[in-house]
Amino acid sequence: MTSEVGPTGPKENRRDFLKYFLGGGVVAWLGAVLYPILAFLIPPKQGEVEVTSVKAGKLGEIEKESGTIVRFGNKPVILIRNSSGECVAFSATCTHLDCTVQYRKDLGVIWCACHNGRYDLKGQNISGPPPRPLDEYRVIIQGEDVLISKKV
Amino acid sequence: MKPVWKRLYDWVDERVELGGLVEFLGKKYVPVHRHSIWYYFGGVSLFLFIIQVTTGILLLLYYKSGEELAFESVQFITSKVQFGWLIRSVHSWAANLFILAAFIHMFSVYFTRAYRKPREITWITGMLMFFLGLFFGFSGYLLPWNELAFFATKVGTDIAGAIPIIGKPVMIFLRGGEDVTGATLSRMFGFHIAILPGIFSVCLGIHLLLVQRQGMSEPEESGKDMKTMPFFPNFLLRDLLLWLLVMNVLAILAVIFPWELGHKADAFASAPAGIKPEWYFLFMFQMLKYIPAKILSIDGEVLGILVFSAAGLLWTLVPFWDRETKRGTRGRFLTYVGIAAVVCIISLTIVGWLS
Amino acid sequence: MAVVRHRFLHFVLWVIVTSVSSLASLALAQDQCRTCHEGLGDTPSALFKKDIHAEMGLSCADCHGGNPKTEDMEEAMNKAAGYIGVPKGDGISEVCAKCHSSASIMVKKFNSVLPRNQAELLSASVHGKLSTTGREAIVPCTKCHGAHGIVTKTNPASPVNALNLPKTCAKCHSAAGYMRTYNPALPIDQLDKYRTSVHGKRNASGDIKAAECANCHGSHGILSAKDVRSSVYPTNIPATCAACHSNAEYMRGYGIPSDQLEKFTKSVHGISLLEKKDLGAPACNDCHGNHGATPPGVESISKVCGTCHALNADLFSKSPHKKAFDQRKLPECESCHGHHDILVATDELLGVSANAVCSWCHGKKPESKAYLAAKRMREAIDSLGNSERAATMLVQEAERMGTEIGEAKFKLREVRQARLESRTMVHSFDDEQLQEVVEKGFKSAAAISDGARLAMEDYHFRRRGLGVATLIITVLAVSLYIYIRRLERKQAKS
Repeated sequence: MTSEVGPTGPKENRRDFLKYFLGGGVVAWLGAVLYPILAFLIPPKQGEVEVTSVKAGKLGEIEKESGTIVRFGNKPVILIRNSSGECVAFSATCTHLDCTVQYRKDLGVIWCACHNGRYDLKGQNISGPPPRPLDEYRVIIQGEDVLISKKV
Repeated sequence: MKPVWKRLYDWVDERVELGGLVEFLGKKYVPVHRHSIWYYFGGVSLFLFIIQVTTGILLLLYYKSGEELAFESVQFITSKVQFGWLIRSVHSWAANLFILAAFIHMFSVYFTRAYRKPREITWITGMLMFFLGLFFGFSGYLLPWNELAFFATKVGTDIAGAIPIIGKPVMIFLRGGEDVTGATLSRMFGFHIAILPGIFSVCLGIHLLLVQRQGMSEPEESGKDMKTMPFFPNFLLRDLLLWLLVMNVLAILAVIFPWELGHKADAFASAPAGIKPEWYFLFMFQMLKYIPAKILSIDGEVLGILVFSAAGLLWTLVPFWDRETKRGTRGRFLTYVGIAAVVCIISLTIVGWLS
Repeated sequence: MAVVRHRFLHFVLWVIVTSVSSLASLALAQDQCRTCHEGLGDTPSALFKKDIHAEMGLSCADCHGGNPKTEDMEEAMNKAAGYIGVPKGDGISEVCAKCHSSASIMVKKFNSVLPRNQAELLSASVHGKLSTTGREAIVPCTKCHGAHGIVTKTNPASPVNALNLPKTCAKCHSAAGYMRTYNPALPIDQLDKYRTSVHGKRNASGDIKAAECANCHGSHGILSAKDVRSSVYPTNIPATCAACHSNAEYMRGYGIPSDQLEKFTKSVHGISLLEKKDLGAPACNDCHGNHGATPPGVESISKVCGTCHALNADLFSKSPHKKAFDQRKLPECESCHGHHDILVATDELLGVSANAVCSWCHGKKPESKAYLAAKRMREAIDSLGNSERAATMLVQEAERMGTEIGEAKFKLREVRQARLESRTMVHSFDDEQLQEVVEKGFKSAAAISDGARLAMEDYHFRRRGLGVATLIITVLAVSLYIYIRRLERKQAKS
């Protein structure tokens, strides 16, 4: 290394080298510290700890006599629009063994494929093994948007 | 053309006269001797405290106090927020390192008798900050509202409740009621993020001001021709170097051993086996176990707590009753007391840890 | 000596007999009510002759009031002197309770062992509620026991005798018009059903041990079946039936086992009903019928089980097993699952291993179609279970590392659902149908594993990040160290 240095002497050169290291090091260090902090400050996709409401879609896009599964946090919710156009929502978790229920247009009920459990469109268990009614959620219609929120 | 930083300095200097401060710093020297190493632990404590404030404020952006949300929000921070796991882990690890650094700082000051006149106030504020630090740890421990923290807080406040006369009101004050509930959580949260930082900052301000004003304490046996080193830049740069190393250790600990969150607290669940307080309370906890249930018709636990309180008070007030140092003789008594305390704390902590 | 003693005994006997009979005729002679009324030839007094109360020496006046000692009608039936005539409304039961609830009368005077809380029970029962008139309880004592001519329960003439009771209850309970006024939803065909049941048939043929209404419902303290205290409330039914059916001594001679309750208690249904208090779980009557209690016939078992396990029953009925079972007279669900002792169906039941039920019939010919199908089905279910476990573990691991795994966790439900559906689909006994469902589960499991792996990438990103950060800090620290050394060397020189 000393063989390569010029007439100014090895010391001066090394000093400059060190300066770059120090300066670069400080900048890199700042980056290493600030990057996680800034990333931390960006709000995550799910804005809050507990999901309190989700947007289920546009009213115009939801057909009459249909049921759709909407993800509500880690749980599925079934949004049902009945023949008169009203919307209701229930927990889509069957109260028997936690399968996900579906809307059966032909039967006019909420149906569980696992053991043929049935609920009416008020969420009441009407036949098969389910021991309890489905939990109800609140449906709020804001303009065109259909929102589902927890019953308070 | 002057460089930018120089012009900025001038701009500020014209207005607030930095000159005096720079001159003061330039004349400040740190004694160099075989115990100089201990001077650095105050700085390390300070650095860890700064980290705690920074990460604490960051966590506050997402943390939600309250029985239903506390645990979930910490879980949310560690899984959903980018680098949330890192910030939380750093906060937990730095808290423990801070207490450790503060322990070392305190004992080094004690053994070198650095508390002696004129530094009594520095010692007192330091001790206050030490107790605040312990309380910081105690209150922060509950905030994730997990099983371990819940029962540790229950046991901890129970011990406080055993103090005669004032115990019961103190316990109710700490718990915000008869039992550890959501009210306790709100209370600890309040202590942890508002009350304690407020008091701590005042103490820290006085402490640092006095350190700068009075300079480092020199060992008793030093003569006039003590070797010194300039505070600026030599000592400060060394401080920075050590801080960098501490930061490195902290980053490794936080990433390789991320702080566990455990299970959500359930007030009606039975206490899990082997509930232990944080390691810095372990020696007291262990000591209380060894004290017999009854000593001369006084409840053993009560006696233990009284002895600890008295010892803590005596320790805090050591600058005022230490006659030996005042007389200028290098007394052995206090050194033996200190060694006994260190041995006692370390061995009881190890025993408590292993049991 | 022996002769003398004999004579003496004869004498004593004579004295006792004559004195008792003369006392009795004296009492009879004194009851002017009966003297007149019997003379008039009215029905109550005629019936009363055989009444147990008459045998016990009670007079008309003991219930009706008045003075039985006088011949003067005015005086004998003087309301001012306590004559009450025919008791009305709640007054009827009160008259009975006057003696039947009193220990001093029943025990001391008549040395009776009858329970004395009957009136109390009756007034707390469904029958003790206010009638449609709103002035009295629905059922007074006399409604079931009659008024004059009451005889003991064991007497075949008694309306509450075991053999007569069903008809007595049916007087009201099978009267549609009457029952509608109180409980329109309550069926009125209990007696008809009862006569089709084993209990009812035995009762009709004179077996007093066979259960009648009161054995299950109680007698005086009958409560609605919806009342949790009722002996026929779902969770109480097993114990009620077991009162007879688990009594080996009592059931001797009927040729049926007496361990049903013991088995049921340990069964999946028993645990659900008795421990978890799940009223959706079946009690005895849900499979056997209640008033028409009879063991379900071999060919109707799948229908009975199918009232709850509808999908399984449907699939079974469409499967080739249906015909095979019917031909061999094998009970449907029961052949594989048992009946009173049905346990939670595990995957162990399926396949060709030693404890798999399929191998009972199909285990002997390892090359047969059925043997291979059973084997394949078990393998399909097992491997779905394995991939569910693997996916769950991956998700848990990713979660423990603190990575975002919400989507994959949500999808875990789909795998579980496919597994549950596949367990149901086994009852089609069709390999292909089963594979379809299982395939669905595999797809979801694969998606989860991918998601979890992706999430775990994050973990490695952390380690790399730490590496970079440590490197930066170390380089900076080393440079700073060199810088300090340089600085101090320079200071030392100057």
